[in-house]
Amino acid sequence: MHTARDWHHRFFAFLSGIAAASILTLVGAAAIAPPAAADDNVITFGAALSTTGRDSREGALTKEGYDFWKEYVNSQGGIKVGGKLYKVDIKYYDDGSDAATSAKLVERLITQDNVKFILAPYGSSATFAASAIAEKYQVPMVDPNGAAEAIFSRGFHYTFAILSPAKKYLQGILELSMTLKPRPTTVAVLAANDKFSLEVAEGIRDFVTKNGFTEVFYSEYPPDTKDVATLLTQVKAKNPDIILSSGHLQDSLLIMRAAKDQSVTSKIIGFSVGPSTPDFITSLGPDANGVMGGAQWTTTLNYIDPLFGNAERYAKLFELKYHHIPDYHNAESTAAPETFQFAMEKAGSLDPAKVRDALAALDVETFYGRIKFDSRGVNIYKPMAVEQIQNGTHMTVWPTDAANASAVYPLKAWGQR
Amino acid sequence: MNVINIAHGAFIMLGAYTSYWLFVGPMHLDPFLSIPLAMAVLFVLAYLTQRLLVNQVVRAPLLTTFLLTFALSIFIANLAQVFWLSDIRSVTTSYSGSSFALGPITVPWIKFWTLVIAALLTLALQTFMTRTKLGRAIRATSMDIDAARLAGVDVARIYALTFGISGALAGAAGSLVSVSYAITPTMGDSFVVRAFVVAVLGGLGNVTGALVGGLVYGVIESFGALLGEGYKDVVALVVLLLVILFRPYGLVGKATA
Repeated sequence: MHTARDWHHRFFAFLSGIAAASILTLVGAAAIAPPAAADDNVITFGAALSTTGRDSREGALTKEGYDFWKEYVNSQGGIKVGGKLYKVDIKYYDDGSDAATSAKLVERLITQDNVKFILAPYGSSATFAASAIAEKYQVPMVDPNGAAEAIFSRGFHYTFAILSPAKKYLQGILELSMTLKPRPTTVAVLAANDKFSLEVAEGIRDFVTKNGFTEVFYSEYPPDTKDVATLLTQVKAKNPDIILSSGHLQDSLLIMRAAKDQSVTSKIIGFSVGPSTPDFITSLGPDANGVMGGAQWTTTLNYIDPLFGNAERYAKLFELKYHHIPDYHNAESTAAPETFQFAMEKAGSLDPAKVRDALAALDVETFYGRIKFDSRGVNIYKPMAVEQIQNGTHMTVWPTDAANASAVYPLKAWGQR
Repeated sequence: MNVINIAHGAFIMLGAYTSYWLFVGPMHLDPFLSIPLAMAVLFVLAYLTQRLLVNQVVRAPLLTTFLLTFALSIFIANLAQVFWLSDIRSVTTSYSGSSFALGPITVPWIKFWTLVIAALLTLALQTFMTRTKLGRAIRATSMDIDAARLAGVDVARIYALTFGISGALAGAAGSLVSVSYAITPTMGDSFVVRAFVVAVLGGLGNVTGALVGGLVYGVIESFGALLGEGYKDVVALVVLLLVILFRPYGLVGKATA
């Protein structure tokens, strides 16, 4: 039997549970998204980024890149569009590293917050979902981090990616391998089964068959995996010269640790995402030495930029503010709003359709590389670089004309790095 | 105790950070040696959580505590992110990655000692629950809260103590995973689901069952991965379904329990 008091107690308890949950969520959201100023002299951009969840580190790097551009532009007076000077602001939401949430939040940015220019979320899956929303509302979106070509195979007109497409990510390591002696020949490929990583793997496999390499192992794994010991045991049994893995930072760290646990040795190991981030070196210490990564950008590339001067000056300014050398996620995330800026200045208008047309026609060299889009909105004109970690720092080892070190080859044994 | 603590994963995360900060701090404490400290910190935290929050709703339907601890886990993870950022951190010791050979099998030392300590903690908990007065009081409260109260058990204190012990174990788990996994504010989520599956496999409320369930789950997952990494969850969850269907009281439990 329940007394009335009992029921009252229960009802109160239930309510307080719900209240607590909603308050906590609101507090969390408020802490992440400060309200943007509604002002005639301000251009507000919008972005749904992974502030929490598995891609939160990459999301934070993206946000640093966006914010750096915002503060730099504002410190220079702003953007001049049609003879009028505008300050810039960015409204952020947290998508929790979930693609569907990202798309919903982009819709909210457009319909409720009246944002007319979207900076893409982190990662291909989220960008894929968000691009459909940008297309639906005919709002231009510039994408610094979504490299999967699947995003651009749907005939959309409003999404523009400034980065090199996914398939090119790790081909550089193979190109480099062909110049090494003795030439490595056998390749093991690991891929997280998300859009981006699978395309990276496809790019590797295409290159492998066309250039006299042999694929000895191929396996996909779920993106939220926590344990890759079994996978690395299988790789070890094949004893490949080259291990290439396409995934994201957390996967790369897991694979490195499992490889050491299982004493997996290879002459080369390379990752699509991971080695370029500062966390990779701090997490792995000396074990990170010798690891290669495909890089969209490195500080040694010699490009001239109308806003920042060149790559070196950008890196210097960035480091003053964030106390770490910008990795390529930072750089592409600064280059994306910068691309928007150039398009707006060229269009001389803040009409989304006119800005879109200016984006489509843009051809400019930035500190990040040449920005020019093909008819799908993909920047196929910018090459990829290869970085290798040597003595705890990132060195560019490919292409040779941008390299500031030669590749350490073969990889040293565990414990001697 | 009829309380499902979703914040358990967040407690594990806090335990991992405790070991991390002690490791990188001036004391440079080995993560295995910081286990007692992580347990103490998390015991206090969980004890207070129970006293101040969960105790308010402990007699309410299961869903209410579920909701409350769920909110708590989101809150703790976000708080951790505000203070410690989303940087991915790792505890890399001098012996990280070293292993010994057991015939054709490579066994990493870290994984070996993790297993040994987990077994010791399980044994200690089992002894505590069956051999001490407090342990008996906890079991009595979980069987029949009103009868326990009539028998003179301070039920509120027992609840808080139980929560504290579970927190301490989460702290130990955190220290243990800190040497194997990347440490992030959201790392706890994936452990909650696995811990829940393991508890059901072993039989809810069964101490040694949890250890057996954990081992079985791990082995199934690893062999499932041979079919392809994507299949390991499928295989493990199919086994869970079979256990729920044919042995709802768990692999170790008895039908009457």
